[in-house]
Amino acid sequence: MADNLTLGLSQLPDEMLTFTLLKASEGLTPRLGKLAFPGRSTIQTPHYIGNASRGVIPHLSQDLFRKHTNIDAIYVPLEDFVEKAPQHTPPVYELDLPDAESPLRRFIALKQDAFLIMGARRTPPIAAPAANTNGAISILTSVGFRHLASSDYVAAAQKLRPDIVVGLGDIVYKQQAKPSNKRVAKMADRTEAWTKDIVDGKSGLDKTTRDGPRYSIFASVLPISSELQSSYVDELADELRDQLSGLAIYDPSSLTDLPQALTPLPRLSFSEPSSPRQLLHELSLGTDLLTIPFINAATDAGIALDFIFPPANASSSTRRPLGVDMWSSTHATDLSPLSSGCGCYACKRHHRAYLQHLLAAKEMLGWTLLQVHNHAVMDQFFAGVRASIGKDKFEEDRVAFEAVYEAELPERTGQGPRQVCVIVNGVRGYQFKSEGPGEAKKNASAYRMLDERKELLAEASTPSSGTDAKDLENIGFAEVVERQ
Amino acid sequence: MAPIHMPSALSFELIAKCSVTKARAANLRLPHGEVPLPIFMPVATQASLKGLTPEQLEDTGCRLCLNNTYHLGLKPGQTTLDAIGGAHKLQSWPYNILTERSFQMVSLLKLSKVTEEGVRFLSPHDGSPMLLTPEHSISLQNSIGSDIIMQLDDVIATTSPDHARIEEAMKRSVRWLDRCIAAHKKPEIQNLFCIIQGGLDLELRRQCCAEMVARDTPGIAIGGLSGGEAKDAYCKVVDTCTGLLPEKKPRYVMGVGYPEDLVVSIALGADMFDCVWPTRTARFGNAITSSGTLNLRHSSYASDFSPVEEGCPCVCCRPPEQGGLGITRAYIYHVAAKETAGAHLLSMHNVHYLLTLMKSARTAIVEDRYPAFVKGFFAKLYPERSKYPEWAVTALKGVGVDLLVN
Ligand SMILES: [Zn+2]
Ligand SMILES: [Zn+2]
Repeated sequence: MADNLTLGLSQLPDEMLTFTLLKASEGLTPRLGKLAFPGRSTIQTPHYIGNASRGVIPHLSQDLFRKHTNIDAIYVPLEDFVEKAPQHTPPVYELDLPDAESPLRRFIALKQDAFLIMGARRTPPIAAPAANTNGAISILTSVGFRHLASSDYVAAAQKLRPDIVVGLGDIVYKQQAKPSNKRVAKMADRTEAWTKDIVDGKSGLDKTTRDGPRYSIFASVLPISSELQSSYVDELADELRDQLSGLAIYDPSSLTDLPQALTPLPRLSFSEPSSPRQLLHELSLGTDLLTIPFINAATDAGIALDFIFPPANASSSTRRPLGVDMWSSTHATDLSPLSSGCGCYACKRHHRAYLQHLLAAKEMLGWTLLQVHNHAVMDQFFAGVRASIGKDKFEEDRVAFEAVYEAELPERTGQGPRQVCVIVNGVRGYQFKSEGPGEAKKNASAYRMLDERKELLAEASTPSSGTDAKDLENIGFAEVVERQ
Repeated sequence: MAPIHMPSALSFELIAKCSVTKARAANLRLPHGEVPLPIFMPVATQASLKGLTPEQLEDTGCRLCLNNTYHLGLKPGQTTLDAIGGAHKLQSWPYNILTERSFQMVSLLKLSKVTEEGVRFLSPHDGSPMLLTPEHSISLQNSIGSDIIMQLDDVIATTSPDHARIEEAMKRSVRWLDRCIAAHKKPEIQNLFCIIQGGLDLELRRQCCAEMVARDTPGIAIGGLSGGEAKDAYCKVVDTCTGLLPEKKPRYVMGVGYPEDLVVSIALGADMFDCVWPTRTARFGNAITSSGTLNLRHSSYASDFSPVEEGCPCVCCRPPEQGGLGITRAYIYHVAAKETAGAHLLSMHNVHYLLTLMKSARTAIVEDRYPAFVKGFFAKLYPERSKYPEWAVTALKGVGVDLLVN
């Protein structure tokens, strides 16, 4: 007991999150590290974090997540769970579990050895029309925009027990207009106050549980220049430093001029790189962990990512595409894997012809298999990045990558699952939500009498969906007969 | 006509018969492995079961699923199927496939017209007249390579008042069966099932049974049902047909999937069933349980932290301590209709539920306690006996089980 007191925290040392820098130089340079926490898989950094929607990586049910991905950490936004708050207690808060088990982890069936990282907002977030206030940020739940008070966020962290909590920040997102000077002045003050709230929330305010809340804190560093947030950042480096386990950044340039004391902390980035090239740029500045929205975006676009790092030697003068558009009918009879040499479940068991068919038939499985593959490609990519940094060849390899591959991912040509959700399922996928609140609820009444034909008709396309009679004949379905 | 002896690519081993009802348990050996009967077959309409991977489907215990000939004929099309080497290869499914006949969808198009040659319809796209024949249908199923293929039949809604047309359709289905048999190029690796027609007219059904049984197809389907007819009439047709069918062949009732329909149909002597309902309904948040279908999108489940079904051993419901996911009703409520994964989780549960129901039914038949099983099933499904559906009580009484007596 006395030991605990002298630590100043109710945490025992062996329960702590540790980040070890294995390789780092002065200034903004790529670095290697490892993030460890008892009971969780150790994460070698740089690495990506799975980007969850309502607790699940889109299209990957939890069994597939466990079996066919190597994702060891996921980012879960609180705004996905607090629809009815504060009028009603969000359901997940009511899940009472023994000991220090995380109700959030249990609720979303996240495997025990994966890191659970909680933030307030989805990434990328939908910009809210209402401004943040001194005590609260604006969020979007599935039923609309509302405010989330810093005190409520702290209560959520205490109750839900994620491994890592990203401190609230008064962030002006990329998608939003540049903040006014008046706003900028407030941003750092607010963020400092909110960071103190989450720190205070951790240090024993909650006396109800035996071992207290045990989340680790990643403080938000604002996407503005360091002069404009100097007093806040100094506070992080000084007063708050011992309570912090990492930093959350929204723009890699905010790593410039950070106080020395903050250098050993892992940096989790929400900067939304749009391409591997941008991602490499960010890693070159010393980012350790990232959410990468372009993985889900590529999947939804029907694109199988197809790149490695470091790249194989450039053999042609033209740059290679970063992905394969699986909508293309050129794959219709192609029994080869999505990308040669990929060992993922989708590539081992299935082939391009099936993927092309699934997309053309608007079958959800198409996006599921792409999601498995695209995450596997990123696993390989990051393994390559770490090896390259370890060999001091990162800059060289990065230049080669830019020479070999195109700058941006291929354009989408096919329909995404958003349209399919509307047309085929009759329901909208939340992961594609962008219109905001007040949308009508789609509802299918339970069938009284089973009507197989109606069901079948509802199942999928009938020939009216743009099929030419000659097409039908060509594919051997029926024949065109002479007009009488 | 003289009986023809068709080659068969299956073996049917009857292992038990209920001593009270007409229920049977059997082993059906097909080109891609053995399956236990009675069986429920999930419908992977377009070579995919609503978001589940073939591996996930395998994990539910499924070894025989359906594809729809019509859909595969449109996408990816026969030429592509030939190039790929059939539907097993297309979806990397090492087990059995049954292809649903292609005709049904076309027949539902407003402008379709059945002639002796086949089904004529106007291409909705450019209005050109099209013709779909029994030979097309078989040729396409030969390209798909399914283990069980269905004849092209002339389907009339059971609710149709036009008796002459129903009779014509039945007789035409028999003639088309002959054309299908003649067109079938791979009888040694694909099993052609005939489809008994005749609407709700039991005399027509009897005639059709006699004609088709004489054709000696490896298996027999009872078709034209599940089109919105009264359940009483449905049961009479199934009961009449099974009474006339040979004991040593599988009997498949098409398009049946509600748990109580399956349990009653088994008692009436049917062995095989398929339906899109369990997976389709999962997308709307409906969970099939032994106490009925629960719509988990209802707010009453928002904080219900019990599994979808208590004690269910499926991947979704099984607690983490036993290697499962421990998905709760509250979590399904949280993701239903918002994330596709919610539908995938429920589909796994729903398919698992029906496969398990069939397994329990089979065990009960083997142990000769099917009547008790049926009573237990209804007692769990309906809180009071007064709520038992009358059609089920009547149908079961007809095969010696009085649901209202212990
Ligand atoms: Zn792959
Ligand atoms: Zn279950």
